[in-house]
Amino acid sequence: MHDRSRPPAIPNRYPAYDVLAKRNGPSWNDKTREVIAERLSVTATPQFFSASEFQLVQAIAARIVPQPSSRPPIPVAALVDRKLHADIADGYRTDGMPHHREAWRRGLGALEAEALAAFHRPFAELSEAMQDQLLQRAEAGELKAADWGDMPCEDFFKRRVLRDVVLAYYAHPTAWSEIGWGGPASPRGYVRLDFNERDPWESAEAKPGREAEAARINRHVR
Amino acid sequence: MSDDMSGDPQVTPRASGGRAPDVFRPGGWVPMRSYRDDETVDFVIVGTGAGGGTLACKLAEYGFSVVALDAGPYFRPLEDFASDESEQTKLYWTDDRISDGANPLQLGSNNSGKAVGGSTVHFAMVSLRFRPEWFKSRTLLGYGADWPIDWREMWSYYTEVEQALKISGPITYPWGPKRPRYPYRAHPLNAAARVLARGCEALGISWTETPLATLSAPRGLAHPCVYRGFCVAGCSTNAKQSALVTWIPRALAAGAEIRDLAMVGRIEVDDRDLVTGVHYHRNGGWHFQRARNVVVAGYAIETPRLLLNSATGRHRDGLANSSGLVGRNLMTQSNQAVWGLMDDEIRSYKGPPSLAITEHWNYADKGKDFFGGYAYMSQGPLPQLWANTLAQARGLWGARLVEEMTNYNHVAGLKIVGEMLPQERNRVTLADEVDQYGLRIPRVTYSWCDNDRRLIDHSLAFMTRALQAAGAKDIWTQDDDTCHLNGTARMGDDPRSSVVDADCRSWDIPNLWICDGSVFPTVGGVNPSLTIQAIACRTADRIRAMARRGELTGQRAERTRRAVHATSASA
Amino acid sequence: MSNDTDWLVGAGLALSAIAATAMLQPRGQTKVTQVPASLPRRAGPHPRASVRAARRLNRAAGLLAVSVLADSSVEHYRGSFKNKAMYTPLAVSALTLAMSAHGTADRRPWAHRLRDGSYLLAAATGLAGTGFHVYNVTKKVGGFSWQNLFYGAPLGAPMAILLSGLLGFCSERVRDTSRAQRPHVFGLPAARTIAAVTAAGLLGTSGEAGLLHFRGAFHNPFMAVPVTLPPIGAALLFNAAARDPDDDQNRAHPLTRAWMWLLAAMGFVGVGFHAYGVSRNMGGWRNWSQNILAGPPLPAPPSFTGLALAGLAALGLMREHPDA
Repeated sequence: MHDRSRPPAIPNRYPAYDVLAKRNGPSWNDKTREVIAERLSVTATPQFFSASEFQLVQAIAARIVPQPSSRPPIPVAALVDRKLHADIADGYRTDGMPHHREAWRRGLGALEAEALAAFHRPFAELSEAMQDQLLQRAEAGELKAADWGDMPCEDFFKRRVLRDVVLAYYAHPTAWSEIGWGGPASPRGYVRLDFNERDPWESAEAKPGREAEAARINRHVR
Repeated sequence: MSDDMSGDPQVTPRASGGRAPDVFRPGGWVPMRSYRDDETVDFVIVGTGAGGGTLACKLAEYGFSVVALDAGPYFRPLEDFASDESEQTKLYWTDDRISDGANPLQLGSNNSGKAVGGSTVHFAMVSLRFRPEWFKSRTLLGYGADWPIDWREMWSYYTEVEQALKISGPITYPWGPKRPRYPYRAHPLNAAARVLARGCEALGISWTETPLATLSAPRGLAHPCVYRGFCVAGCSTNAKQSALVTWIPRALAAGAEIRDLAMVGRIEVDDRDLVTGVHYHRNGGWHFQRARNVVVAGYAIETPRLLLNSATGRHRDGLANSSGLVGRNLMTQSNQAVWGLMDDEIRSYKGPPSLAITEHWNYADKGKDFFGGYAYMSQGPLPQLWANTLAQARGLWGARLVEEMTNYNHVAGLKIVGEMLPQERNRVTLADEVDQYGLRIPRVTYSWCDNDRRLIDHSLAFMTRALQAAGAKDIWTQDDDTCHLNGTARMGDDPRSSVVDADCRSWDIPNLWICDGSVFPTVGGVNPSLTIQAIACRTADRIRAMARRGELTGQRAERTRRAVHATSASA
Repeated sequence: MSNDTDWLVGAGLALSAIAATAMLQPRGQTKVTQVPASLPRRAGPHPRASVRAARRLNRAAGLLAVSVLADSSVEHYRGSFKNKAMYTPLAVSALTLAMSAHGTADRRPWAHRLRDGSYLLAAATGLAGTGFHVYNVTKKVGGFSWQNLFYGAPLGAPMAILLSGLLGFCSERVRDTSRAQRPHVFGLPAARTIAAVTAAGLLGTSGEAGLLHFRGAFHNPFMAVPVTLPPIGAALLFNAAARDPDDDQNRAHPLTRAWMWLLAAMGFVGVGFHAYGVSRNMGGWRNWSQNILAGPPLPAPPSFTGLALAGLAALGLMREHPDA
């Protein structure tokens, strides 16, 4: 297994690119503005999780999608919380998996029990390496505390934690800017589609040694 | 702004009071004929997607009275669709379902739609014809089951649908018998599509622009494609020729009624073993629509679910199920992929996701160690889908995932639509749990067979070579994905081995019809939507022909009833 | 690509618009110097008639240059000026435009060395551009396919600057030979040669429109207009070029002249249709930054006007010089 405990070395491939700069331009329609405004207004007060559950989700999310300290963090746990609060389900469950709300409640409880059993401390207070170790064991299906019930821990990890946390992170404009995606695009779509072509309203990728040039272009993306 | 902006189309029905939403104008309306529940209509159709929407249009244009019900909302794409993957999950069927078997299916996103227009509202628009031999795959190719329809007949219905949807396609199609020119020209290729083309040319096989149901030029009030790339999250420009913006406006103009947010829970059967109408849930209560004929078009999970949920004392195993095959032979299609990184910027988020295709392995019979075929296409996943793919299929999380995601603009991928063989053990049954309407939820059981695996292995090995030849690095394979659902009420020539006949009429109940992907005996290696719509057009023609000859059961019953009335009146 | 190219494109478009207006301004001066009506119709070679024809050709060449300047500005901007050579047609068409304006105003009966040079440069640019565009199409995967013909560099487009150069060059020859017995181009009768070149240009431009309108599936019936009217005009011009010069009755070619005026008008109406086409794209004119590029090209149809004007110049010369 690769080392998960190091901080992410996110190369700043799209310096100064901010997908939100396009917010009031022709790339966003009213419905998109409304939806994203609501997402950006999400605060770190849980509506579905209890305070202690929420703390645990925050700790897990920090391991699944570690964030650099150089920018305001994406409120991943809160976005997961809102999805559960709104009861937006996947559309299926595998055998043994409870409904998504129940799965999260039970899984968090079980993970906390595993942390206490293994390290005698709550999950959120463990070192990152210990947290990763527990998550890896869940991923591998090695956690067997009674709290899991008939829910396989690997299914909880993969089909609930990994899915919900990753989708929450990449639902946020900050993540879109980080990967240089064009973001919302309606009514305006794209014109230049071929290899190495970019429209003036797309991110410019920094080629090695030419970061300043990319940043200069990206500041003008609207 | 429209006068119903306060009303959430996912909560309050829009199509009512003699009008339906105008999908081409924000806040607009078009007139709609309305029927009372106690009016006996010629046809009630359950579902408004590729099967039901098409059939509703054609039957209404042929002069039948039609009410089409859909469990989903009636969207106006121009005002209701955001450019956002999360928000647009509202297009999916996310009601509770249980998935099991050795290879449990992922449901609820790419394979299940809940909206007027069904899954065509979020389909990838790939509009392909079957290979002719597939209609007789048992006889000619030695696997699966024969269709009771001749390919030449289907060829003309394919043409009808291609014209109706103004399919944008290549000038000449490299495979199969000659077909008429596509009504609109192919779209420009994006870089992802050119990667596919490079790979094919390097390996010496043909490729072409994918025939797509999205406009490359204006059509009426629908705008041409702007290459925004959100196709599978719903098209906000109406370039996508979904049932919502093609068949359904035509159906309304011809006098059909569409009822949105109307979930059908049960089909009623009388003592003569004829259906009399459907029970449906709308506006917080249950209603009963009387009909001379009922068409089930809910796609391959909801269709058998409704038939099974409609069981009575006389039909203990569900309706139309004397063969025991309702719910069996569920076929998804393999949707495995090979991904890699290019030195060039690809930015595959621009344009429809699958602009280029090769059907080589659908038409070549040599060099295969499996039955069936597959097509593969270029890909354009949006960030959430891509991140989830890296997490689920490649097992990335933590710093590795966040770092890998920064390569997003350099990713190129090839993905198959592969034929899976019909197996009776792959099926839809009812679970004991119930959904929000109190209806038993479906349990979907799926396991691959050895042939399925061999096809997948063949495709992954071939596409890996193709992607290498195109210049990709860091190549990896995604071996767990599936798409499309078909086959749970197959058509055939024999009532013992099929659920419906070639006209989509159930063997057991002559005024009960099934018209969607459920009737496929085999799925082939192409996306099914064009074939579903062609079948619906054919069914409409057959129904009209039967009606003219007085062979519709409901018709006969009606005539008998009228005769009885006349007799009693004169007495 | 840098966003700094925006200003250049803007400048190109503005210059084109101003020039188009200027080129088509009716000039009082011209009227003053017009041949008196009392002049006998068969007065033999007349230098002023030749100069007038030459100036009309300058104007036609200029209008073509306007179309090229605007079209290549937009299309090469769309191509992000990936190759520095993509600036060439902008510079050359701007120069051709300036020279044509100069020629239109110049009433001297002899060729101008700078104009001559710039017209030859324009013609050479057209030839080189065609080569570049062929290379662009063939190097793409799929090679010489419908896909690349539709969406790669348009093969016919550089022909417009070639035609502009050729017509301008012919204009200078007509001036140069205005005092001779008959105006000629490389020894060939000038009017007939120009009529034939123009007719070929009309066919080529119509072919280009046909290709792109086929790409648009002729979704609007009016899209058939630029593939039907210009070939008829070309046939009429060829016919005029081939007619017996001594047949007095036929030298006026009223139908051909009328047809040229029709084509000239079509070029302008076409801009209107293309503007309507842009408005039908998603977001309409509000989404101009995409739709100017993605919609039908606004500057393309006026190239028909430029060619029609050249045709009229040839016909005028033909009328006044029986053996030209």
